[in-house]
Amino acid sequence: MTLTIASSIDDIIAALAAGARPIAGGTDLVVGSRQGKGSLPDSLIAIDRVEALGVIDRGDAETRLGAGVTHARLMTEPTIVDHFTAIADAAALVGSPATRNVGTVGGNVMNGSPAMDTGSPLVVLGAQAELTNASGSRLVSLDELWVGPGTTSAAPDELCTALVIPNMGEGGGSAYVRLEYRRAMEIAIVGAAAAVTLDGDNVRSIRVALTAVAPTILEVTGLDDLVGKPLDDDALSAVAAAASEQASPISDLRASDRYRRHTIGVMARRAADAAARRASGEDISVPVNRALGVGATA
Amino acid sequence: MAITDLPEFVRADGPDKVTGSGRYTADMTLTGQLVAKFKYAGVPSARVTKLDVTAARAIPGVFAVLTQDDVPDVRYSYGIADRTLFVKDVVRFDGEVVAAVAAINDKIAQQALDAIVFEYDELPAVTDLEAAIADGSPLVHADLDAYEVTGDTPHYGNVGTHSSIEMGDVDAALASADHVISSRFLADASHATPIEPRSVIAQWEGERVTVWTSTQVPFDARAGVSETLEVPSNRVRIVAPHVGGGFGGKCGAHFEPHIAALAKAAKRPVKLVFSRWEEFVAPDRRRESMVIDVTTGVMNDGTIVARTGNILLDNGAYMADSSFFPQAAAMHVAGPYVIPNVKIDARLVYTNHQPSGSVRAPTAPQGCWAVESHTDEIAATIGMDALDFRRKNIVTTGSVGAVGQTYDEIGLDQCLEKAAASAGWGQELPEGEALGISVGWWPSFHAPAGAYAKMHGDGAVQIITGASECGTGSVMTLRMLAADELGIDETSIELIYQDTGAAPSGPGSSGSMTLFNHGRAVERASRQISDQLKELAATQLEANVDDIVLANGVASVAGTPSASVPIVELAGASEDGELLGSASTEALEWPEIVGSSCLGDQGFASWMAPQFSCHVARVRVDKDTGVTRVLEVHAAHDSGTIINPMAAHGQVEGGILMGIGQALTEGTQYDDSGRQRNAGLLEYKLQTIADAPKISTEFVEIYTPNAGPKGAKGLAEAPNVATCGAINNAIANAIGTRLNQLPMTAERVWNAIEGEVE
Repeated sequence: MTLTIASSIDDIIAALAAGARPIAGGTDLVVGSRQGKGSLPDSLIAIDRVEALGVIDRGDAETRLGAGVTHARLMTEPTIVDHFTAIADAAALVGSPATRNVGTVGGNVMNGSPAMDTGSPLVVLGAQAELTNASGSRLVSLDELWVGPGTTSAAPDELCTALVIPNMGEGGGSAYVRLEYRRAMEIAIVGAAAAVTLDGDNVRSIRVALTAVAPTILEVTGLDDLVGKPLDDDALSAVAAAASEQASPISDLRASDRYRRHTIGVMARRAADAAARRASGEDISVPVNRALGVGATA
Repeated sequence: MAITDLPEFVRADGPDKVTGSGRYTADMTLTGQLVAKFKYAGVPSARVTKLDVTAARAIPGVFAVLTQDDVPDVRYSYGIADRTLFVKDVVRFDGEVVAAVAAINDKIAQQALDAIVFEYDELPAVTDLEAAIADGSPLVHADLDAYEVTGDTPHYGNVGTHSSIEMGDVDAALASADHVISSRFLADASHATPIEPRSVIAQWEGERVTVWTSTQVPFDARAGVSETLEVPSNRVRIVAPHVGGGFGGKCGAHFEPHIAALAKAAKRPVKLVFSRWEEFVAPDRRRESMVIDVTTGVMNDGTIVARTGNILLDNGAYMADSSFFPQAAAMHVAGPYVIPNVKIDARLVYTNHQPSGSVRAPTAPQGCWAVESHTDEIAATIGMDALDFRRKNIVTTGSVGAVGQTYDEIGLDQCLEKAAASAGWGQELPEGEALGISVGWWPSFHAPAGAYAKMHGDGAVQIITGASECGTGSVMTLRMLAADELGIDETSIELIYQDTGAAPSGPGSSGSMTLFNHGRAVERASRQISDQLKELAATQLEANVDDIVLANGVASVAGTPSASVPIVELAGASEDGELLGSASTEALEWPEIVGSSCLGDQGFASWMAPQFSCHVARVRVDKDTGVTRVLEVHAAHDSGTIINPMAAHGQVEGGILMGIGQALTEGTQYDDSGRQRNAGLLEYKLQTIADAPKISTEFVEIYTPNAGPKGAKGLAEAPNVATCGAINNAIANAIGTRLNQLPMTAERVWNAIEGEVE
C-alpha cells in the first residue's frame, strides 16, 4: 500500500485519476477496514493537509463549505453555528473529540451512510456537493449524489471539494436532533433535521429530512400544507406523523422497526420545533440535544 | 502517624499509567517471538467429525499447531471438571478453541487457521433456561456423571449446581399473610469488558516456563498451567505486567495454558493478543442471564413473613468458577431482610452459550435488581413508602437474617438513612424525574494470603505480595498499611507484586479480597520489621523497647522526642545487614447459622464481615422515547473502616457507573442458535464518562472485628450491587409502571410506557 500526502487539490485530482482513493480523517475508511468491511485501497492520497479544502467562505447568496472542514470546526465556527445551526448540532454529536478532530464533512457526505449525522442537515439546507476532476467541477444535489447505502454517483476520479449551501436569510433557523442511548461515542439510531423560515409567526418554508430510517437520507414530503400557518402543536404533530409514515426503518440490534418508526416522528417534531424557535430568534445552544435535554442528553 | 492523617493518596502505579511509561502485556516483545491465533468452533453445538491440522503444520513459517490431542487429557473447572483446553469431540459454545497456531507473523498464522480442516455435525443447541431443565431437553454434557465433582455440588440433567435456602415453614406463613405478591424478572447476560483485551506471552527455558499475562489472579493462572499441562507449580512463573482492567473477567486461568503449550511445541516465545471480538466471545467469564420468580407474603403493617424464590441462571457451556452462583443468587433474592420463613431454589443451568464466570459481584446486580424491584411492588401493594418499608424490614445489629445468621454491629440502617437524606427522599421533582431506592449486600471472604517485607541496609523498604492490581487501587493501599506500621512515608516503599516467582501466594484481585486478606498479611509482615526496628532503636537509645515509637521516619522514645534515631539508619546496623519479615493471614471465624438448611452449600450461606449499601438514583425519563438518564446517585456504604478514602470513593463511583451500564445499555443479544449478536463495542454499549451522573458517597464506618486490617471489610464489588435496582425503582416511579427486564433499554422503557410486553 502506498500513502501519498497531497499539498494541493491538483495533486489529489492527479492521484485519483491514477487510481488512488482519498483519505482525510480516516474515521470511516480505517475503522471500516479494521472491522472487516473491506480492505484498505492499495493507493491512498492523504488530503487533510490541503488548506484549500478547509475554507469556509460566506458569500452574498451562498456559503462554500470546504469538504475538509472537520466536525470540531463545524460545531464551533460562527458562520456555521449562526447560519447553518443544524450542521453544528450534528457535528457536535459525532463520535468523540478524537473523531470530531479528524473527521470531515466531505468524508461524511462521500461515505454515503444513511446514518451520517451531517446528511439530513445538509439536505434541509439545500446543499449541493461540488465534485471536481481533471475536466473541472460540477454541482450535484445530494439526492442525486446518494444512490444507496454507502454508494454515491460520483465517478472514481471525482473529489468532493466543497458543499455549497444557499444562505437562509432573515427569519430562518435550523436544527438537528438525534435519538441517543448515551452521550458520547453514539451512532444515529434515528435522527432528524429541520430548516424553517418564518414570516412573522407563520411558516414561510419548512424542510425536514430523516437520518437512518431509509437506504439514504430521506427528505419528508407533503409539508406544504404547513406553509402560511404557525408551527403550532397540530402542525408539529403533522410533521411527526409524516416522518413516521414516510420512514422505512429496519429492525436491528439497535432498535426495532416499530420503535424507530415511532421515535423518528418524535425527532422530526423536536427538530422542527427547535428550528422554528431559532428562526424566531430564540437562542438555543449547540447541540440541541444537550440544550433541550433530548433523550439521554439532559 | 494515624493513617487517615496522610495528606493524600499517591498511587505507586499512577505516574507510569498516566504518562504511558507503564508496560502492559501487549506492549512486550521477546526475541524470536511468534504470533498465536486460535481456531474457534464457530458453531454453538456440534459433534466433531474431522479435525486435520496436517496442511496447516506444513505451511512455511508455522511453528506449531495444537489440538486437544497434543496436550494432556485433563478436564478442569471448579466444582465440576467439565472442560478441556481444546474442543474434544463435542463443541459446546461457538467461541470454544478448536486449535491454536503459532506462526512467524499474523498473516501466516491466519493462513494456518484457514488450512485447518474442521468438520462437524451440528447438534441441537440448548439456549433457553426453562426448556433446558424440562424433560427431554438435549443435554449439554451427556457425560456429566462421569466428571470429577468437588464440594457440595448437586447436579443432574442440564443442572450444574442446585442450591437452596430453607428456613421455617413458608407454606403456613404464606397462607397466613395479608398479601402475597409475586414477581418475575428476566436479566440478560452481560460482560466485564475490560478496556485492555487479554494478552499472554509464554517463554520456556529448559523445563521452566514464564508466562506474562493480563490476569487478576496470577496464582490461579499458575495453577491452571500446572494442572492442565501437568507441570509442577515450581516450574511455572506467572508475571502480570500492568493490567488494564479486569472487573472479575480476568479471574482464574484463561489462555495461559494454551500459550504455554504453544511456546513449548514451537520452541520459541509465543504471544497472544485478543481482538475485542475475541474478548467478547472466547473467555469463560461472562455475567450470567437469569430468570427470577419471587413471591413474598406480607402483613398489613408491612412485616414480611415469608418468601419463596425460584432462580435459573445461565451457566453456559462450562463451569469455569460459577458453581457458587446459585447460592449467591439465592442470598440476593432473600436480600438483607429479616424473613423468618424462606424457601429459595436456584439452579445453574448448562446451555450452549459462552460460559458464565466471575464478573464483579457475581449474580448480585441481577438478583438485587429483581428483589429490590419486588420490594417496591410489595410496598406499593400495601400502600407504604418504599423507604419506610425497608426501614421496617432490613437487617440491623443483632437481627437474624434469612439464613439464620445473627449480625454483629452493622450499618445498613445508617446507609439507608444517609442515602435517602442525601437524595432528598420525598421531595417534589420535575415532570419525568423520580427517585428510586435499593439496598444491597455482599460478603467478605477470608482466604490464605502471604507477604514478605524487607528493609534493606540503606533503609529502603520492599513489600512483596501476591496481591494483584487490576485498577482497584487496593494494592496501592497496601503501602499505606506498611508505612503506618513502619513509621515511614508510604511513597518511599516499593511494591513487588504480580509475580508468582517472587511472592507468597494469595487470592489476588478477586472477591474483594486484596485489602481484606493481603492487607492483613502485609500488616503482619511489616510488624515483624517494626518489632526489630524497635529492638535496634532501644539498644541505640538505651531505652525500654516498649517505649519506642516509630513515626515520621524516626524512632524515638515516648515522652522524650529528643532521644531519637532515623529509621533508615537502623536496618544497616542490624546483625544481618537487612531486616526481613514474612507472614500469612490468620484464619477468621465464619459466622454461625442457625435454623436453616442449605442444599448445595458453596460457602455462601454464612457471610463474614458482610458489606451493606444503599443507593438512591434520580432519573429523568424521556417518555416520548423511553430514553432514561441517571442524573444523580446517592450512595452510602458500610464497608467497615475505610483505610484509603480516595481509593474507596473511586471504587464506589466506578461500581455505580458499571451498574448504570448494566441497568440501561449493556446486554448481550443472542441469535436462535446461541451466537452473540453484539460482540463488539459498537453494539454492546458501555457507559461513557460523559454519561456519569453526579455521585455522592458516604461511608458508614464501623470498626468490624473478625475482618480485614484495622476493621476493614471488602469494597470492590459492593458498589456494583444496588445501582440497577435503584434505577428500576426510579423509572417505575417516573413512568408509573415497572420493567421486569434487564437492561432497561430505551425501547423496553418505551414499551412499558406503551403497555407493550416483549
